[in-house]
Amino acid sequence: MALAFDEYGRPFIILREQEQKTRAKGLEAQKANIMAAKSVARILRTSLGPKGMDKMLQSGDGDVTISNDGATILEQMEVENQIGKLMVELSRSQDYEIGDGTTGVVVTAGALLEQAEILLERGIHPIRVAEGYEQAARIAVDHLSKISHSFEFSSTNIQPLVQTCMTTLSSKIVNRCKALLAEIAVKAVLAVADLERKDVNLDLIKVEGKVGGKLEDTELVYGIVVDKDMSHPQMPKRIEDAKIAILTCPFEPPKPKTKHKIDIDSTEKFEALREAEKKYFDEMVQKCKDVGATLVICQWGFDDEANHLLMHRGLPAVRWVGGVELELIAIATGGRIVPRFQELTPEKLGRAGIVREKSFGTTKDRMLYIEQCANSRAVTIFIRGASKMMVEETKRSIHDALCVARNLIRDNSIVYGGGSAEIACSIAVEAAADRIPGVEQYAVRAFADALDGVPMALAENSGLQPIDTLTAVKAQQIKEKNPHLGIDCNDVKTNDMKEQNVFETLIGKKQQILLATQVVKMILKIDDVITPSQYI
Amino acid sequence: MAAMLQPSIILLKEGTDTSQGKPQLISNINACIAVVDVVRTTLGPRGMDKLIHDDKGTTISNDGATIMKLLDVVHPGAKVLVDIAKSQDAEVGDGTTTVVVLAGELLREAKPFVEENVHPQLIIRSFRTAADLAVQKIKEIAVSIEGKSIEEKKSLLEKCASTTLSSKLVGGEKEFFAKMVVEAVTDMGEDRGLKMIGVKKVPGGTMRDSFLVNGVAFKKTFSYAGFEQQPKKFDNPSILLLNIELELKSEKENAEIRLSDPSQYQSIVDAEWNIIYDKLDKCVKSGAKVVLSRLAIGDLATQYFADRDIFCAGRVVEEDLQRVARATGGAVQTSVNNLIPDVLGSCERFEEKQVGNERFNIFTGCPTGETATIVLRGGADQFIDEAERSLHDAIMIVRRALKNSTVVAGGGAIDMEISRYLRQHARTIPGKAQLFINAFAKALEVIPRQLCDNAGFDATDVLNKLRQKHALPSGEGALYGVDINTGGITDTYANFVWEPAVVKINAITAAAEAAALVLSVDETIRNPKSESAQGEAAANAMAGRGRGMGGMMGRGRGRGMRRR
Repeated sequence: MALAFDEYGRPFIILREQEQKTRAKGLEAQKANIMAAKSVARILRTSLGPKGMDKMLQSGDGDVTISNDGATILEQMEVENQIGKLMVELSRSQDYEIGDGTTGVVVTAGALLEQAEILLERGIHPIRVAEGYEQAARIAVDHLSKISHSFEFSSTNIQPLVQTCMTTLSSKIVNRCKALLAEIAVKAVLAVADLERKDVNLDLIKVEGKVGGKLEDTELVYGIVVDKDMSHPQMPKRIEDAKIAILTCPFEPPKPKTKHKIDIDSTEKFEALREAEKKYFDEMVQKCKDVGATLVICQWGFDDEANHLLMHRGLPAVRWVGGVELELIAIATGGRIVPRFQELTPEKLGRAGIVREKSFGTTKDRMLYIEQCANSRAVTIFIRGASKMMVEETKRSIHDALCVARNLIRDNSIVYGGGSAEIACSIAVEAAADRIPGVEQYAVRAFADALDGVPMALAENSGLQPIDTLTAVKAQQIKEKNPHLGIDCNDVKTNDMKEQNVFETLIGKKQQILLATQVVKMILKIDDVITPSQYI
Repeated sequence: MAAMLQPSIILLKEGTDTSQGKPQLISNINACIAVVDVVRTTLGPRGMDKLIHDDKGTTISNDGATIMKLLDVVHPGAKVLVDIAKSQDAEVGDGTTTVVVLAGELLREAKPFVEENVHPQLIIRSFRTAADLAVQKIKEIAVSIEGKSIEEKKSLLEKCASTTLSSKLVGGEKEFFAKMVVEAVTDMGEDRGLKMIGVKKVPGGTMRDSFLVNGVAFKKTFSYAGFEQQPKKFDNPSILLLNIELELKSEKENAEIRLSDPSQYQSIVDAEWNIIYDKLDKCVKSGAKVVLSRLAIGDLATQYFADRDIFCAGRVVEEDLQRVARATGGAVQTSVNNLIPDVLGSCERFEEKQVGNERFNIFTGCPTGETATIVLRGGADQFIDEAERSLHDAIMIVRRALKNSTVVAGGGAIDMEISRYLRQHARTIPGKAQLFINAFAKALEVIPRQLCDNAGFDATDVLNKLRQKHALPSGEGALYGVDINTGGITDTYANFVWEPAVVKINAITAAAEAAALVLSVDETIRNPKSESAQGEAAANAMAGRGRGMGGMMGRGRGRGMRRR
């Protein structure tokens, strides 16, 4: 990159390794940035909506992911371009915050940039464009609050929640079973939700998947499912009224952490040592028995000797259970995690109505179900599916649905989907534009046009005439003053999303608009890109 | 290099690069101007950002000091500019772009004089006089906000903070953040260490989701099994701060125990367990409900505390722990012996809360109130990073304004006013100095000019309007600056575009000094060794160019161009 030349045309060397850096400046930089962001958005555009298509991504080591989830797709694409990376992060932060609408936010940002490009070509200062967008975003968000509805739900009346989750799931590959999955998601969230504090800790919901069976076999287990089996094949496969000892110490003779050495110089000493070891095992098992445990779950492994002894004493045991699962089991069964055998007391045992080992199909896979727990504040969603990719995608879809349910518990306002909210905002922003003086008016109007991008993409993906459909709906919205009209993607013959029961969360929609505007501003504000050439 | 034609006396080691004289001076000025050109477009509310990509990742910034640092300037003359940007950053925290642009413009103005064989020292002397006069003038016309009520002061400080923020990426929400910053700074006691304001970054959410905690907040640390069973909310808890490991471990690194009797085995095991149990017991007995440690709190301890309804967090970052100590009035302990109530901290409320995708430990209602934490939210990592830098600037400004509570009108108004004053003063001086002080005055106009350029307005037009206003004999136009919204001029003081006077004073002095420094250099000697220290790559690149330069050298006729 040549920064400067002297009178003889020789470049100055001002920066380190100046020759190896490239620099894009001014309008050229902005155009290149917009181009990069737009191409990312274009990839996701076809994934939007119930008729959106999936993307297949192959990672470096040959793993295949098939997904419809914007955040996942972008994450796996490994975008190299820095501006592209911004879009990836945009999608990711929507994922972190809301969990749903990750595709929509990128499509919106892409549409905003597309409109901005036209304005830049007209010679409008990029920051004025960005400021206009910010004004418009504020108008749009206000309008969203106006057209939103809040609904009542309780732990018995979950129908409204289920319907909103269904909207989320309808764009996924699992939409065949969306009603079932939505119900599972809502029930799971309600099981762990603290309705008073409006707080949901999603960590308490475990999503476990197993290849095989069909999607319909997916179930919600009020308890924990662990991908483990009993440590000894002859142990009982079903324990009722289990009292569970949850241990984080191995069934082994204790070892001091300090370096140690035992000098054995006679047969007697060796015998004594062996006896001592035996006694340890014996005591350990006895201790568990004494406190009344009928099942031992251990974070670590057992010695074969211990295993044998446990079997003989009729104490079923599970070994190598991960820390997170152990914690969930403890929460679910109301037990305490015990770090040392000496600490075992009857009060510290967890309780579960039934613990059973379940095997699947013809495979040897077995899983351990811990159900009817003392405290059902930890649940597991157990997903079945025909292939690994299917199970993985279902996991992601369930995650989206869980997030939506959680958001609704936090804030029970909804807007109508199917692009109706975007169209309504577009109309509102368009109307407001005329009252804004200055160059920003153009930007605000461009924002309104960009908002049409989402319903347009929806219509396009559903095989409808995008412009015809959009204009028809828009006209209808204005005529009937009904902000619930959207794109009829599923061909139900009505545009009213209220009737179609297509809901989206208000905070999700707001977040989409605000985040997209924010990132667009960031991109527009860059007028200089300095890159070392090895990165190009 | 100078001795290409005649035999020369070799004074310096071969390969040493020397160049001297006027051409060298001009070349240095050119290099500085080139660097200034990179940052000049970031000035003002319509300034643009730069994206710089390097080994450490991508940075998008509007902050002059950050950009200069990342540019990795190697030109020795131009490095001066990097240094003044850094010093401005350290001293006042804001106005880093201003100082660089100003220094560049001073050099640009000085260049024609140098070319016309004026002795640089004369220019330097006049620049120094002019800078002194400018500083005096600023002090004279600055408006003090001293003696106002707290409420009034706060709103004044907010104006200063929002002027700083207006040029940044977070400009759209400047009122929101200005309020937050002022709140954070004013809430703290007299000794406002910058470290006591924590800024935490959580991706996700929008800018408006950022919030201020009157106390301390930090991210949930790594936890062991059993953590989820601990209570996550306390009212008026006692807080124990530790700097020890609560883990089962060998007591001494190199100790080894030799046993001859297997029956003693158990006693060692027990001894070890007893040590840790003893420690834990002491923590519990102290009455603390929240235990924080800079070092690890192991699974055993986690479960022990969970059993006793105590919250614990291990591996808390040093800074956060210090802040908790300051806020809650506790003291960090390096031993669990003698845990008297005095060393325990307290606060009104402790809670673990979900923020975006993270869980945060939040302490509020702390007795000393000496710390504040700002939790920043935003759409992308780079975005939050930039927001953090912007807030840092704003925090610095507010702190500065609190200490030196005088403000001047921004938007180029103060610069125009000083410029007018200097011009007027110049007319009273006989001799060459008149020219140079005029040049200094002209250089100051670069600030409003650049503001206009960046906003896409006709700079000449606006400048002439401003000159006319400022030249009014009544002095009523002294507060007029660029109106960034309409492209006209406006009374920026009345529109609350304020800057602390100290920022301007520092910027003008630093810029004048930098210019003087560059002007006073007439010879550069570069030792070849120091170049190779730059690394293999640079050396190779140089070798390649060295050959290419050979041809040009004839034309250059040893004009003293430095080779690198």
